[in-house]
Amino acid sequence: MLKTFLALEDDGVSVDPAGPRLSSAELGAECAARADVYRLLSGAFVEEPGPSFVQAMRRPDVLQSLADAGVRFDTDFTLPDTESLVERLACEYATLFAATGGFPPVESVRLTGRYKQDPHFKVRQTYAKWGFALHKGRFEVFPDQLGVELMFVAELLERCSLALARGDEADYRRLEREVKRFWTQHLGRWVRGYARLIEQAAEHSFYREMARFLGGFADEEIVAMGLRIDDLDHGRAVVPKAEIRVEFNPDEPVCNSCEGVPAGPRRATGVHTLHDLR
Amino acid sequence: MDFPKITRRTFLQVSAGTTAAVAVAPRLLHAMENELGGKDFSPENAAERKAIPVNCHVCNIQDGAIAYVENDRVVKLEGNPEHVSTRGRLCAKGNSGMWYSYDPDRILYPLKRVGARGEGKWKRITWDEALTEVAGKLDAALKEDPNTIMLKYGRNRTGGTLERFMKTLGSATVLNHTSVCESSKKVGQEPTWGPDIETPDFANAKYVLNFGSNILEAAYFHNPLSQRVTEGRVDNHMKIVTFDVRLSNTAGFSDEWIPVFPATDGAVALAIGHVILREDLQDSEFIDTWTNVTVDELKAHYAQYTPEWAAKISGVSVQTIERIAREFATTKPATLFTYRGPAKHLYGSYNEKACMMLPIMTGNVEKRGGYCLPRGMGWPQPMPQPSGPKQDSVLAHPPEYPLAAHKVSHLVPFWIAEGRQKINVAFTYQDNPVYTNPGAQAVWGKLYRDEKLIPYFISMSSHMGEETALADIILPDCPYLERWEPESMPNSLWPWLGIRQPVHKSLGESRENRVLLRDIIWKLDPDGSRGMKQFWEFKDGEDYMRHHFDNVPGLKEAGGLDFLKKHGVWPIYGTLDPRTGKVTDKTGREIQAEYGLYKKELSGADIEGAMVDAHGLITKNGKAIGIRRDGHDYVGFPTGNRLINVRVDEWAEYGFNPMPTFKRIPWHETMKDDEMILSTFKLNVHKQSRTAAVKWLAEIAHSNPAWMNPETAKKLGVKTGDLVRVESPVGYLVTKAYVTEGIHPKVISIATGFGHWEYGRLATLKLKDKPAFGGTEDPDLDNVWWDDRGVHPNAIIPVVADPIGGSQGWYDTVVKVSKAGPDDKYGDIHGDWDRHYAAYKETMRYAYTGDMHRKMHPEMASWAGPESVKPKASGGH
Ligand code: SF4
Repeated sequence: MLKTFLALEDDGVSVDPAGPRLSSAELGAECAARADVYRLLSGAFVEEPGPSFVQAMRRPDVLQSLADAGVRFDTDFTLPDTESLVERLACEYATLFAATGGFPPVESVRLTGRYKQDPHFKVRQTYAKWGFALHKGRFEVFPDQLGVELMFVAELLERCSLALARGDEADYRRLEREVKRFWTQHLGRWVRGYARLIEQAAEHSFYREMARFLGGFADEEIVAMGLRIDDLDHGRAVVPKAEIRVEFNPDEPVCNSCEGVPAGPRRATGVHTLHDLR
Repeated sequence: MDFPKITRRTFLQVSAGTTAAVAVAPRLLHAMENELGGKDFSPENAAERKAIPVNCHVCNIQDGAIAYVENDRVVKLEGNPEHVSTRGRLCAKGNSGMWYSYDPDRILYPLKRVGARGEGKWKRITWDEALTEVAGKLDAALKEDPNTIMLKYGRNRTGGTLERFMKTLGSATVLNHTSVCESSKKVGQEPTWGPDIETPDFANAKYVLNFGSNILEAAYFHNPLSQRVTEGRVDNHMKIVTFDVRLSNTAGFSDEWIPVFPATDGAVALAIGHVILREDLQDSEFIDTWTNVTVDELKAHYAQYTPEWAAKISGVSVQTIERIAREFATTKPATLFTYRGPAKHLYGSYNEKACMMLPIMTGNVEKRGGYCLPRGMGWPQPMPQPSGPKQDSVLAHPPEYPLAAHKVSHLVPFWIAEGRQKINVAFTYQDNPVYTNPGAQAVWGKLYRDEKLIPYFISMSSHMGEETALADIILPDCPYLERWEPESMPNSLWPWLGIRQPVHKSLGESRENRVLLRDIIWKLDPDGSRGMKQFWEFKDGEDYMRHHFDNVPGLKEAGGLDFLKKHGVWPIYGTLDPRTGKVTDKTGREIQAEYGLYKKELSGADIEGAMVDAHGLITKNGKAIGIRRDGHDYVGFPTGNRLINVRVDEWAEYGFNPMPTFKRIPWHETMKDDEMILSTFKLNVHKQSRTAAVKWLAEIAHSNPAWMNPETAKKLGVKTGDLVRVESPVGYLVTKAYVTEGIHPKVISIATGFGHWEYGRLATLKLKDKPAFGGTEDPDLDNVWWDDRGVHPNAIIPVVADPIGGSQGWYDTVVKVSKAGPDDKYGDIHGDWDRHYAAYKETMRYAYTGDMHRKMHPEMASWAGPESVKPKASGGH
C-alpha cells in the first residue's frame, strides 16, 4: 500500500533499474557526487549568488565540467568582472524569484498558487523528522523553497554515502527511501515544469542554463530512481485559452438581459459545469 | 524541450569538477538538536486548528474576526461572535483576507530600485543595507530641514506610531488621504455637534433618509450597519428613502429610490427642512434647548429654501419633497445617513450640514432609533512621547484652507511642483494616490516619477501598488494578519477596544510597520545621543501593545492585553444568540444601547470648582465641561459651547455662510445638453485599491462598464457592451457601456477598484511581459476565465477642493460621452498634467482667498475679505 502510494519500485539497492548492480564503494561515490550536484543547484537557486560562488563557478575547470554536461553559459556570465556579475545576477534573481510578478521558486506557490500551503508544512515536518532545522541565510527562506529542498536531498545523500562507507546498508536503504519519497512527494511534482519556465523566462544565461541543468538532472534522477511522478507544474509560458477550464462563459457580455437576448435558456458551448471540474 | 541529457557519468564529472563552487554554496540546514535547546516535537502530531481573534482590516470598518489557523496557516476567517458590532459575521472581503498574506506577488524582502523609476527592476537587499541607506538619506534631509521629510499615509491604523515617527524626526510634513475620502463630511459635522460621523440606530428606526450612501455594499460601517439596516427593515418595518444618482443595492433595498440630480442633495435636504419648519413639525424644545439658534431664527433662515426652488435644481418634485418632509417629521423614531454622496462636492461641507439638520430639527438626536453620536474608546500612548515639530508645513496645513481640519492632500502634487515646499525624502504607507487620487497616474504618477521633485521615495508596503512601483526602495510591510495594532471604531452603538495580532510569524522578511520605523530610528540614533531612541524603546509589537492596553481602566482589571489576545475585543457585552443573530444578556434578552449621551449629568466632583456662565456653559480650569439646562448640569455635546452649533461662527470669519446653505456647482449650471456628470462608486467586494489582487474577490468582480440610462444610450446610439469614449476637461477614456434604467439620465457612472496597471498578476492580468500572462506557475490562474480587468477612471477626473472641508469633488466632473470612434480601443486612458494643473488653479479660485469666493457668497457681502482674517494657528487632525 505504502509502496503504491509513494510510487516506489521494489526494494533493491540498485538505483539504476537498467544498469548493473554497483559495489558499495561505487554507490557511496555516486551518492556523494549526486549530493554535490544538488548542492550546486541549490546554490544557484537558494539566494543570489555571492562573489565566492560566482568566482568558483567561473573557474575554467568548473565551466568545462558543466559544458561537458551540456551546460554552456554565454559571455554575459563569463566576461564581466565579478562585482558587476554579482550585481547583475542579483537583479535577475530579484526579477525572477523575489519581486512582484516573478516566479517564486517555492513549491506552495507552484502547486497551489499561494505561499505557505501544504508543501510548506510537509517539508518542514520532514526536515524536523530527519533532525534538521532551517536557518536564515542572507535572507529568510521558505522550507519549500527550491534551494532548500535540493539542499535537503544533498544532506540525505551525504548521509547515504557515509552509511555505505561504514557498511550500514540498512541505514543507507532508509535514507535512500526518503530521497525517493521526497522526490515523489515534492521535487518530482514541480521542478521539471518549473525549470522549463525559468529557462524561458530568464534573461541571463546563468539562470537559463542552471534551469536547463536542473530540468535535465531532475529527469535523470527520476528515471534512475525508478520513480513514476507526474509533474504538476506544467510551466508553460502561454496556456491556449481553449485549454483553460472555465466555470462561466468568458465571452458572455457583462449584461445582456435587457436587450437582444434570444428567447429561452442560453448556454454557450464549451462551458463546463461545476461537476465537470471536480 | 532541450534539457541536456545528464547521465550518472555526467554528474559524477560535474561533481568532481565543481567542488570549489559546492564548497561555497550556502548551507542553511543545521542539525536541529543544536537549535532547540533540548526541546523536541513529534513529526507525527497533527497540528490543531487554532482560533486567533483579530480585527479585520481588508477595509476600514474594523470588524472583529477570528482567524482559524491550522499548521500555522490561516485556513478560514470568520466573524468574532464576541464582537458586539460584528456579531460573528464578516463580509465577502473580510472572508478573503488571508490571500493578502499568501499572495505570490507579495513583497517579502527589502527591494532597491535598479532601473528607472517605475521600470520594475529591483534588487533584493538586506534589512541592514536598506536601513543604512534610508537612515543616510534621512540624516542628510534632517541637516537641511526636517520638513523636507514627507510622509503620506492612506490607511493608518497604527494607533499613533506614524505620527510618533514624524514627530521624532521633527517634521510636520504629514499628509493623509482624507481629502479624497470623507473630509467634508467630517468638517460638515465637527463644528456643528463635535464628532465627525453619526451612528444611525437603524435597527430601531421607523424611517430612514439615506442621502448617497450605499451602506449595504460599502460606506462606513458597511458590515455592522447593513446588519442593522436589514433588521430595521425586516423586524421593524422601517421605511427607507434613498437619494442617489444610481440604483445601488441599497437603493434597491429601499422603499423609494429618488434619482436626484448630482450634487443637489443639499438643496433637497434644505427644502425638506423648509417644509418641516413651515408646517411646524419641528421639535422646538430640542432646538431651543440644545442648539445655538432659536426656532424663529431657523424658520426665518429656511424660508428661502422652498420645495419649488429645490425641485428646479434637483429634479425631485415638490410633492415628493413635501411628502417626505411630512413623513420624516411625523414618523418617530427616524434617522438619517449620508455617506460621501453629499460630501464629495465642491461645497460638500454645506451639503453634509444641510442633511444633518433634519434629525436635529426633528429632535431625533441620541434617541433610540434616531441619529446618534458615535461611540468610541481611546488608549494611552507609550511614554515618553516626542514633542511636535518646530515649524509647520504648508503642504500639511495650507493657509488657503484654514477650516479643512483633515488637510487637502490631493492638491499637494501641484504645491510641490510650484515649489511651495522642498521635499528630500518621501515615505508612503498604505496609500496609493497614483491610483486612488484625482488625476491618478497623470498627477501623482508624474510627481513620484520626478526625481527632482521627490529625490528619494520610500514605500512601506506589502504589495506592489501603483505608487510602490515608483519607489526607490521598498521596505516590506506586513499584511494585516501579521501585525499588532490597537483598534476602536464607532461601528455600532456600543464602544469597544480591540486588537489586531499576528496570526503567525510574518512571511519572508516583512516587518510590521512600528518595528520597521523603530529600526530606522535605531539606525539614525544608535546610542540615543540624538534624543530619538528614547521614544522607540520597545522590544516588539506586543510590547508596544502592552503600553497601550495594560492600564486602561476596566480592561486592566480584566487582564489588559492578555484579555484582548484571548478575546480580540473588550468589553464583551453578551452572548450571540445563534437563532436571532443578536447579542443577548444573561436573561436571554437583546442588550440595549445607552442613549441620550449628551444628557448624562455631571457628578458633584465634576462640578466642584466649575463656573457657569449666562448661557449655562459650565467651565472648569478654562475648559468647557458641560451645560446647565433646567437646573441640571449635563455634559452636553462635545463642542466648545456644549451645544449643537447650527450657526458655525468660525465659518463666517472666512466669508462662508455660517448657517445651513446650498451652493450650486457653477459648471453644472452651464452644462450643455450633450454633457453629463461622471460619478464613481464601489462594489461590495472591492475597496478603493487594494482588493484587486485578492483571488476570490477578483473572480467575483473584475470589470467595470460605465452605467448609462437607456434614454442617454438611445441618443448616442449605444447599447450594452458597446465602446464609449468619455471625455472630461483633463483627459479621456474608452470603456464599455452598461445600459440600465438604474441611473440618472444625466449621469455616467463607473465603479472604482478596477483597471490596475500594477498590484500583481490578478489585478493586471499579466505576469510581467515575459512570459506572457497564462504561465501556469500559479495554478489558480487556470481559473482566470476573464480577460477584462476594467478601466480606471481617475486619470480623467480633475481636482476640485471644497473650500471649507477640503474634500475632493469626486462627483462634479462634467464629461462628454460619445460612441467610440474607429481609433478608440477599450482601456485607452489619457490624462494630461497641464490640464490637471489648470483644474487645480481653477479650484483654488473658490478658496476663501480666491476671486470666486465672494461671487459664490453674495449673502456674505458684509464680510471684510481675506485680509480681515487673522492667520489661523496650525492644527488639524
Ligand atoms: S466590512 Fe468586510 S472587509 Fe470591512 S472590516 Fe468588515 S468584514 Fe472586513
